[in-house]
Amino acid sequence: MTATLTDLLQLARSLHDDLDLTQVSKWKAAKPGRKAVGHMPIYVPRELIHAAGMLPVGVVGGGDRLEIIRGDAYFQSYICRIPRSTIELALSGRLDVLDGMLFPSICDVIRNLSGMWRMLFPDRYVHYVDVPQNFDPAVGGQFWRRELETMRDDFARLSGHPVDDEDLRASIAVYNDNRAALRDLYRERSRRPWVFPLSEVYLLLRAGNVLPPEEHTQMLRAYLRQAPLDSSRREQDQSRVVLVGMFCEQPPHGLVVTLERAGCSAVDDDLLLGLRWLTRDVAVDGDPLSNLVDAYLTASASTASRYSPDGDRARWLLDSVKRNSAEGVVFCAPSFCDPALLDQPMLVAALDRAGIPHTEFKYAEDTGQFAVIREQAGTFSDSIRLWSTP
Amino acid sequence: MSGELLTAGVDVGSSAVKVALTTTLDVAEAPQAGGTDKNVCATREKIVALHAERIRRRELRKVIADCWHAALDKANVSESDVVYVATTGEGDLVEFRRGHFYGMTTHSRGAQFLMPQARAVVDIGALHARAMKIDERSRVLNYKMTSQCASGTGQFLENVARYLGIALEDVGPMSLNASSPEAVSSICAVLAETDVINMVSRGIKAADILKGIHLSMAGRYVKLLRSMGVTTDVALTGGLAADVGLAAAFSEKAREDGMEMTIHTHPHSHLAGAIGAALWGAYRHRVLERRAEIAS
Repeated sequence: MTATLTDLLQLARSLHDDLDLTQVSKWKAAKPGRKAVGHMPIYVPRELIHAAGMLPVGVVGGGDRLEIIRGDAYFQSYICRIPRSTIELALSGRLDVLDGMLFPSICDVIRNLSGMWRMLFPDRYVHYVDVPQNFDPAVGGQFWRRELETMRDDFARLSGHPVDDEDLRASIAVYNDNRAALRDLYRERSRRPWVFPLSEVYLLLRAGNVLPPEEHTQMLRAYLRQAPLDSSRREQDQSRVVLVGMFCEQPPHGLVVTLERAGCSAVDDDLLLGLRWLTRDVAVDGDPLSNLVDAYLTASASTASRYSPDGDRARWLLDSVKRNSAEGVVFCAPSFCDPALLDQPMLVAALDRAGIPHTEFKYAEDTGQFAVIREQAGTFSDSIRLWSTP
Repeated sequence: MSGELLTAGVDVGSSAVKVALTTTLDVAEAPQAGGTDKNVCATREKIVALHAERIRRRELRKVIADCWHAALDKANVSESDVVYVATTGEGDLVEFRRGHFYGMTTHSRGAQFLMPQARAVVDIGALHARAMKIDERSRVLNYKMTSQCASGTGQFLENVARYLGIALEDVGPMSLNASSPEAVSSICAVLAETDVINMVSRGIKAADILKGIHLSMAGRYVKLLRSMGVTTDVALTGGLAADVGLAAAFSEKAREDGMEMTIHTHPHSHLAGAIGAALWGAYRHRVLERRAEIAS
């Protein structure tokens, strides 16, 4: 890939803005018979979809460019926005390009959404991915293996392409490359956030929802090479913060820009966490399903929608703060997000005990006014730099 | 300038760009009588150059560049002499900045530098007004804003001056000469502007109209301060701090409301944001230098 940095970012921006999934349509049209399977945020085993010759497509709602007309009829007013905008996308035909849809067990709302999907689109493949919350290999491990086997068989039927072990090993290797590129990006961003600003990193993450993983990895590697060559990226004196709570409903791009302009440099976050769910490579040799099970049980990211024994989530957050030399934590969760908001008090208490500054606010994917968030993030950043610094 | 830190503050407002260059020097003072035998470290801060320009529909990046170079010329220094450029306001367009501070943080610092007795600040800009309660180290303890309505802002006063055909710099002195101020709506800029048009057609003197507007605006600020429990020295900053009529109306309104507060202004009050940014920049420069020393 020889695209310039500007080209890369423009492509990422256009993919982010494209609610009609034009990229997916193009991919399918390039070879007759190709199929695409959508999935909601958080973890799904994309390797299985890829191994069946299909394109995994991350579906993250309609963002701030979709007017919801029909979607509101399906959910009460106290439900977050991503399910209603996802329904809106589907009912307006924008998701017709998807041949199937996976709903991982994020929360009750997304589980209910999978049921609605079955009723609304009875002719399409729908599967509720019941990820285990028990991490004992003999219990959760066996359960997860059965779930993976079911999906492997389903995807083989859907694609008309049997998924053998060699296919799956090859796909695991492709996703290992992608995860390694993401790890490199996060490590470099933490080291030099002014070279890899979150406002760009976020667009590149979003591109991973619709691009084939091989292309996405190339895009990430090209960005890692080219961004440091841009001499206009000067070191800024900003507060180093960890962002928490954005693992499912995604914030509007303007919010991310606002945080940076307010003086906060994100050095870690949980945006589109599903892309980085497995924190290490999955073993390629041996039984691929066993390797996927083992990676899930032993190397899953810690987040509110995954069960963690007492204190484990807080330790994960404190470790991120320490590892990234962060000076504070910004809890930035979608309104009505049960997992994120129910988790927050325990994390806040842990930060208070450790003396780590934090601030909290909420957003919706279509939030358009950022003045209050800017004020809050700006004063938070100032308070860290001027009053928390020894 | 050895031992001194030269820092800059660039305040990009909605109607003007302001630049301040300041020097900061750590000095060891003599032991205090009756105190410890250790020398007390203090900081000597000085304004080196100030420059402000109205934007007046010009390209903002050019106004920023013009202002920046004019301030450097005034101080007779070069860009490389400045160890930290801090922005405030809408400072995103200042690509050569090192750090950005929020407006409340910088106005508090700048106000207290200019008027050390201040324990509250009212910053009145073109599009907003906000009141801040601060401590003796310029730390913001509480704040209130009037951002939802334009009637307490400089833009509103500028519109009124235009209706009356009066130059903005004449508004304050003229208001001081009012004999019978006319009350205007203090709630909504649209209603207040309608009031003004009616007053003009009724032949009310411009001085009385302006004083009425000043009293109406001052009434809003007094309410903000009262809600935060401020009863002490208040510094005015922002573009309207130079309006002597507004400052007088502020004192009058506070007295009327039985509040024992003193309203302070300074010839550089409108530059308080830029001055505060430059001073905080010096602080941050020292912190970052210390960190680099420890790391090495």
